[in-house]
Amino acid sequence: MCCALREESSQSMPLEMMGLFSRRVSVELWRLWSVSGTRHFSIGTFPTGQVCSSRSFSSGRYLRTDAFQPDQGDKIDLDLWKSVMRSQTAVDESIEEDKEQVKKGDSTDSPSGCVLAATRELVSMWRQAGKLVPDKITDEDVKTLAELTTKSSKKKYLKFLAIREGHKNKSKEKQEKKRAEREQRLAEFPETLENRPPVKNSFLMQYRDHWLDRLLGWRGAQAMNFGQPLVFDMSYEAHMTPQELTNSVSQMLEVESCNRRSLDPFHLHLCNLQPEGGYRQQLVKRYGEDAWDRLLITETPQRHVDVFPQEQLVYLTADSPNVLRTFDPSKVYVVGAMVDRSIQTGRSFATAKRLQMATARLPLDQFLRWEIGAKTLTLDQMIRILLTIKDTGSWEQALAFVPKRKHDGFYQEKKQSERGGTAGRDRGDRYPQRDQRERQGSAREPWGAGRGGQDRGVSGKGVGMAWEREYKQPVTRIRSSQNTTTEDRRRTDKTRTPWYQQD
Amino acid sequence: MCTKGIKPGERKSPPRKNDTTIRQTESFKVRQMPSFPTSVFAAGNAKRTTEMLKRKTALASLEQEDAAGDQPRRRGFKTDGLVAPDRPLSPTEWKKQLEEAPCSPERFDVHMMTLLFKTGAELDIAKSLLTFVALETGTMSYQLLLQYLTLCVKGGHDAEALDCYQIMRGAFPALETGASSLFIKAFSRTESWREALPILRDMKKVIAPSTRNYSDIISGALLHGAAAPAWQLYDEVLGEGLTPLPDTWRALFEGGARGGRAEEEGGISPAEYGERLLGVLGYMRDNQVYPERNLADAIKTWFHSLPGHHWRGEWTTVSPKGVCKGCGSELESIQLTPEEYTHLEARVMADIIQGKDVFQKTTAEELESFKAFVKRKPVFDVVVDGLNVANIVKGRQSEMLLAVVCELERQGLTSLVLGRKHMLRPSASWDRRNMGLIQKKAHCFFTENTSEDDPFLLYATLHSGNHCRFLSRDLMRDHKACLPDTLTRRLFFKWQRGHQLVIHGTVAQGRRVGFQMISPYDTIVQSTGVSWHVPYDDSVDRSSYEVPQSWLCLTNKP
Repeated sequence: MCCALREESSQSMPLEMMGLFSRRVSVELWRLWSVSGTRHFSIGTFPTGQVCSSRSFSSGRYLRTDAFQPDQGDKIDLDLWKSVMRSQTAVDESIEEDKEQVKKGDSTDSPSGCVLAATRELVSMWRQAGKLVPDKITDEDVKTLAELTTKSSKKKYLKFLAIREGHKNKSKEKQEKKRAEREQRLAEFPETLENRPPVKNSFLMQYRDHWLDRLLGWRGAQAMNFGQPLVFDMSYEAHMTPQELTNSVSQMLEVESCNRRSLDPFHLHLCNLQPEGGYRQQLVKRYGEDAWDRLLITETPQRHVDVFPQEQLVYLTADSPNVLRTFDPSKVYVVGAMVDRSIQTGRSFATAKRLQMATARLPLDQFLRWEIGAKTLTLDQMIRILLTIKDTGSWEQALAFVPKRKHDGFYQEKKQSERGGTAGRDRGDRYPQRDQRERQGSAREPWGAGRGGQDRGVSGKGVGMAWEREYKQPVTRIRSSQNTTTEDRRRTDKTRTPWYQQD
Repeated sequence: MCTKGIKPGERKSPPRKNDTTIRQTESFKVRQMPSFPTSVFAAGNAKRTTEMLKRKTALASLEQEDAAGDQPRRRGFKTDGLVAPDRPLSPTEWKKQLEEAPCSPERFDVHMMTLLFKTGAELDIAKSLLTFVALETGTMSYQLLLQYLTLCVKGGHDAEALDCYQIMRGAFPALETGASSLFIKAFSRTESWREALPILRDMKKVIAPSTRNYSDIISGALLHGAAAPAWQLYDEVLGEGLTPLPDTWRALFEGGARGGRAEEEGGISPAEYGERLLGVLGYMRDNQVYPERNLADAIKTWFHSLPGHHWRGEWTTVSPKGVCKGCGSELESIQLTPEEYTHLEARVMADIIQGKDVFQKTTAEELESFKAFVKRKPVFDVVVDGLNVANIVKGRQSEMLLAVVCELERQGLTSLVLGRKHMLRPSASWDRRNMGLIQKKAHCFFTENTSEDDPFLLYATLHSGNHCRFLSRDLMRDHKACLPDTLTRRLFFKWQRGHQLVIHGTVAQGRRVGFQMISPYDTIVQSTGVSWHVPYDDSVDRSSYEVPQSWLCLTNKP
């Protein structure tokens, strides 16, 4: 094959000659020649039937203007690019030899080094092939990449790295631009005592960030002493992918900050948080060792059932058959700290079943016209909902934190008193007969004696008084909301006391 | 727990039939409709059902289509606004194109090459583009060459691809996977197919080559009569745990039919080659592979070409009783062997019901109570998925369930109805009287509302022995997926095809309930020594949980 090629190309002498020059020279020559405006193609047809043209630099028989006339049936040397590329390889070879030596140097160390070098090379070639690949890749990333088994997983990981790199570069660019602008400004108006901008005069006292921090700190400390506990169950690490774990850690950060900034924070308990587990490691890494130690939350490797009395605990899970109708301040609610992109139905409900805990789900169906998506919520949405329901007692306000894309507004037309009894059947409740039974005041309890405490857990009333609860419920809700509003007022009053007096 | 909610009087007198009649289990037959092709497991059934449903909602879909038609075409393609030339252009003409092009001049070459590939342009046009780029910039990017190469390989210009190989090898330190795959394809089609082997070896350093790569080389080797390396590569594919492509098998069978120069290569004798091909058929049997029509053609041709034998192949179907219409022989039974049965029973208990967390699907106490319930009761003939059967007709669920239970009772079968506890609470759909009658006529077990009932169904059926069947429309795919290994999954599927009853058609009020027929034979590649039966796909409509209905019957008649 090679032989045939050489024969073929040797018939176009000038090209061969070009190949002897270095790349730059040959291109320059070609430019000069093409700019001169005289072109000459002589066409030769070879016995093989292949059309091949040879070209000379002298302008011979035909003289042409620069304007090209395509209808003349000119032939273009179609294989010219091959010789250009071949000439290039001769130049590159010397450089490559050096490279290969370098490569051999680090690849002969160990078989793993060989794999890493090959992976790095693959990345560089993919970059050249126009795939979405980061420009720089660290050794650690290469190692992760080499451990991935399939081609698609490698591509996905590289894409992820590339996108992350893009974000980093962009923010870096922004910073540089800002810095340059500032320096320019300083250069134009050097900051001296005379031309410093005047201090703004205001009748308001300036409020500094650390004052706020101190205030929030006090609130947190208060919550740790007297606040209602809220448990996050951190035992689902084994059921999450590394990516999901990272996501859930981000959500936990948001949960903590939300709670800290709220008027009346929960006393957050992170239960089942293993000291050596990935969850804690990532949390500490994200907060920093010191900040983590200063956080006003309780972390424990113990189970929630060991920390709190069983009858106080209520596990909030989307798979529960019980609807949380009223928020009970005397209960300890448990939220499973898990992100499951591929929805693992019944995962946290299984935990609750195993530990024989009471369970409840948010009254999403009762209040929202649900449209799309699973009835799972992120952790930060969960804490916002819980904080609001605790503060205001109004589900309408609390469920405003459910993502808007998932529902089409609230059931406005229903009055509160109507909501209790028939809600389930009308709105596609999963266990529609439940309310009906309760209204009939049936003495039987076919829901299983094993988890008899669950109903009690939700509303704080005995099972036998189920019917009573159904009818009293609206009243209690109104009352509780009144309570909370008055409490709110009192609390806000307290918080409105000047910061300097509080300290 | 199981009989909770039933009035005490009813509980004392469970719906007992004469034990003597029940024990005739071996000879019992559920009345089935002779309409086998519409079985839920027949190839194309799922597709037909979907299309029927689509037709039902035709109006809605028409509206949707109109809405889709109004939307503007998706914009933002990189090749938008570019026009591919219809003949090779000179550098000056290309330059003009470049100046007029709407995209950035740096990416013009790549975009144009993509467009040429998309429009299936002639190779000469691409070459002229390359020449223009080479002259303009003095070099060309890897990406451009890669796209050119794709164009070459797609158009079958192998010589050009080999040329490209020389150039790219020289100009770049290494080849990435895309180029390697293309080169392997191109080399395998030519005399110099052996060149593809080092490329494959290089690929292995970084990623596992795909079955397509292997398939290309194997067909290349066989095309040039080198059987030994082809089989070596085939073994490698199996060793990697990959499933060979149908094309690989076809190449192997076609290679076998050609015979050829196998001996001179110092490789494989025709006898050994034949043995190995029979091994391929064995692999298909073990892995429940159903060849497509063209592969079945190749198999048939190979059998015909065997010297010294008189194999005769025939495209045929199988009667509902399991007799091949071609040769009149009976096919393998679908029943599991006792060992297989015990294995399956153990796996279903361990993996489907208990799994990693028994609380995921039920609770520990409930499972124990169910086990005790099953032990206490006599052996069942049919286990009914109560909710599944009842929900065929919305609104009068209990009537439907009662009709089915009555039908089973009429046939003298001991049945178990599984349901959830909420069914016991009287309502419009769950009539108290109907539920009472059902509990009289059949054994009943009601699980917690928060438990799944399917695992209990599977357990009760398997526990009652090989004759017991279950009634449900559910194809149990989610439960099949819980099984860890493919062997058990195949066993489960085989058992399911032999034991699942499905209600036939619609059930009108007052009419008897009919069931779809259960196929008595196994749809799998099988041999009796003097004959081979190969089920093959003759349409593309088959879902993975269906089995083909057409067979290739091969008989050796002296």
